[in-house]
Amino acid sequence: MTRWERSVPVYGVPVLTRGFWALLALIVVGLALTVVREVVGLGGLMSGMSDPFAWGLWKTFNVMVLTGLGSGGFAVGIAAWVFNNKKLHSVMRVALITSCLAYWTGLCMLGVDVGRPWNFYWVVMPWTWNLHSPLLEIAVCMSLYASVPLFLENLPPLFEYIIYEWPQWRGVAEFCEKAMAKVYPFIIGLAYILPIMHQSSLGALMILGGNRVNTLWQTPFLPLIYVWAAGFLGYNCVVLCLLLAKLAWKRDVDPEVMLELNKLTVWIVYAWTAFRFLDILFRGKFFHLFTDGYYSILFWTETALILGSAYVLSTEKGKKLGTMFLAHAVCALGGMIYRFSPTTLAFHAKDGATYFPSAIELIISLSFVSIAVLAYMVAVKKLAILPGSNEDWLKMAKYEEQVKLGIQLTGYVPVEH
Amino acid sequence: MAMTRREAFKKLAKGSLPILAAGCVSTALPEVAHAEEEKRAPKGALGLLYDATKCVGCKSCMVACSQANDLKPDTRIDGIHQAPPALNYFTKNIIKLYRTADGSDHSYFKQQCMHCIDPGCMNACMFGGLRKDEETGVVWWLGSKCVGCRYCEIACPFHIPAFQWDGFNPKIVKCELCREHIAKGAKQPGCTEVCPTQAVIYGKREDLLNEAKRRIAANPGKYYQQRVFGEHDAGGTQVLYLSRVGFDKIGLPDVGEESIPSGLKYSHAVYKWLALPVALYAGMVAFASKNFKQHSHHLVEDQKKTGLRPQL
Repeated sequence: MTRWERSVPVYGVPVLTRGFWALLALIVVGLALTVVREVVGLGGLMSGMSDPFAWGLWKTFNVMVLTGLGSGGFAVGIAAWVFNNKKLHSVMRVALITSCLAYWTGLCMLGVDVGRPWNFYWVVMPWTWNLHSPLLEIAVCMSLYASVPLFLENLPPLFEYIIYEWPQWRGVAEFCEKAMAKVYPFIIGLAYILPIMHQSSLGALMILGGNRVNTLWQTPFLPLIYVWAAGFLGYNCVVLCLLLAKLAWKRDVDPEVMLELNKLTVWIVYAWTAFRFLDILFRGKFFHLFTDGYYSILFWTETALILGSAYVLSTEKGKKLGTMFLAHAVCALGGMIYRFSPTTLAFHAKDGATYFPSAIELIISLSFVSIAVLAYMVAVKKLAILPGSNEDWLKMAKYEEQVKLGIQLTGYVPVEH
Repeated sequence: MAMTRREAFKKLAKGSLPILAAGCVSTALPEVAHAEEEKRAPKGALGLLYDATKCVGCKSCMVACSQANDLKPDTRIDGIHQAPPALNYFTKNIIKLYRTADGSDHSYFKQQCMHCIDPGCMNACMFGGLRKDEETGVVWWLGSKCVGCRYCEIACPFHIPAFQWDGFNPKIVKCELCREHIAKGAKQPGCTEVCPTQAVIYGKREDLLNEAKRRIAANPGKYYQQRVFGEHDAGGTQVLYLSRVGFDKIGLPDVGEESIPSGLKYSHAVYKWLALPVALYAGMVAFASKNFKQHSHHLVEDQKKTGLRPQL
């Protein structure tokens, strides 16, 4: 049984693997298609969007779903720093980097999706803002979050890298580290309030969709339910990343931390589901749960996937890593479907218009996801992000010292502060 | 015990937090109860009155609209212009026919921007790319403020704004009640100018509403529900409809009497003066500071034990 005591880079594996090149190829193709999209517009083969179905995959999946999945940074962070759950500090770096990558690729995707991106510069002129617009709130809060608090939170592993690998810059990095420690609580406070605001506004967006969003989803509490779903999606994502690291690089798992993550996921899901049912009940839409045909089935599918996997996690079986992995994957799938529903699956467009993404749309969307995955794969190999034990750290240091003999190295082990 | 200024400030800050939070809630709640004051149409609000019972479906208003607005023919498919199936970025105004399968009932109907009193599209728009003329209440599009996000298309209950799906410089196209055409000297919009049966007429909303009510009173039982669509629907619109067949049959969805933006009143109450978010931020920073201090202490202890550099 291992205890996670500090973050340790993945060592002894090449960065330039076959997967790396495959992802890179997809990214290159996607970016080339993005250039074409900017020239010819969004119509025709470029996307499946139309006037009745004006929002497609790029907004609804890359932004609404994936930033939900990348909510670990604040969901785990609040438990760790505000509610003082000490066990969770060891996984914070994983949570933060997934958030950072999900948000940045989402924001870039947003830039590709909108038709007149050059007009986005108004965002720095507050007097032009329409404060009634939920989308304005998202545009401001999301870019602010991704570029300030989330960015700063992700710097410590980089400082460490500089300290160990570029000794000539060590003084600067240490100075920055100390400066950051002084204001850290203020940064993380910002890193929690901003996502709470914009993740809920993502839900508020569809309130303006009115009765085109099916009544099982359309509620004044849509913002709250949306940000709440981001909560458990963040946990799902962190757990999946940790378990994938075990699968891919044989990283040991700290069962205590994993069980803590499970426990929190389960409670967030239970409370979320209960709130959703209460909301439907109090709005007097109980019978829609059974009489709305396709929509009822969709609702129960979401609920079954999310609630079922949370139940499995709460049982003894959920402690086995294989089952845990599956349960979190299924839970994440359910949560992603939920976040996808109000805009797409439970959205009945004018004249029964339907939407299906075009091949090009899908490739561009996946290529932006690939950017995040690729960056993650490189980051965990270069930086101390995935959690490990002190022993792992010492082993890594020994290995690195052997391999990098030629490089001027100050040594990983004892660095005086 | 003597207190430094810093400590005193801290205590003050901590003590005032619950008061601040309570204050926010108490100021926000009455706001919800009152809702946001119902928006009224501007005094000089202009609009259209379309009487579906008078329309003969000649579509001359569509041609006049294209002429008045300099719209190009839609020749995308095979280079031949054909009647457009729906409003799109070549078409700001359209005449359609509702007809039951057995032909027992039918009605022509016209679609264009409703010029809502409290428009959903304008509420959705980030930087005011869609705006409402203060005098005439006409809702129009300002390209230099439009990001092309297409949220207006989501927020419009009548499915009016159309996005230009082709080209690198797309526009949002919708009826602007011929504001440029009129600014150039025309007396009225293209559609009302040419309508041979006066099915669609142009004027001040107030006058049009009176005219519509007069017609209803003069022809009891002729009009659906004996009412004008747009008087209260979606918070009131400046384009008004009379019809013999159900409004839902002629592209006017049942959207209720609340305006689309009023759905956000609870969200706005939460954001009132940013007070709740700020209070929440202060609370989280207070807890995080305490826990961060504790955590840093642990890190130093660990370093003494293991000799390894602490990680944040």
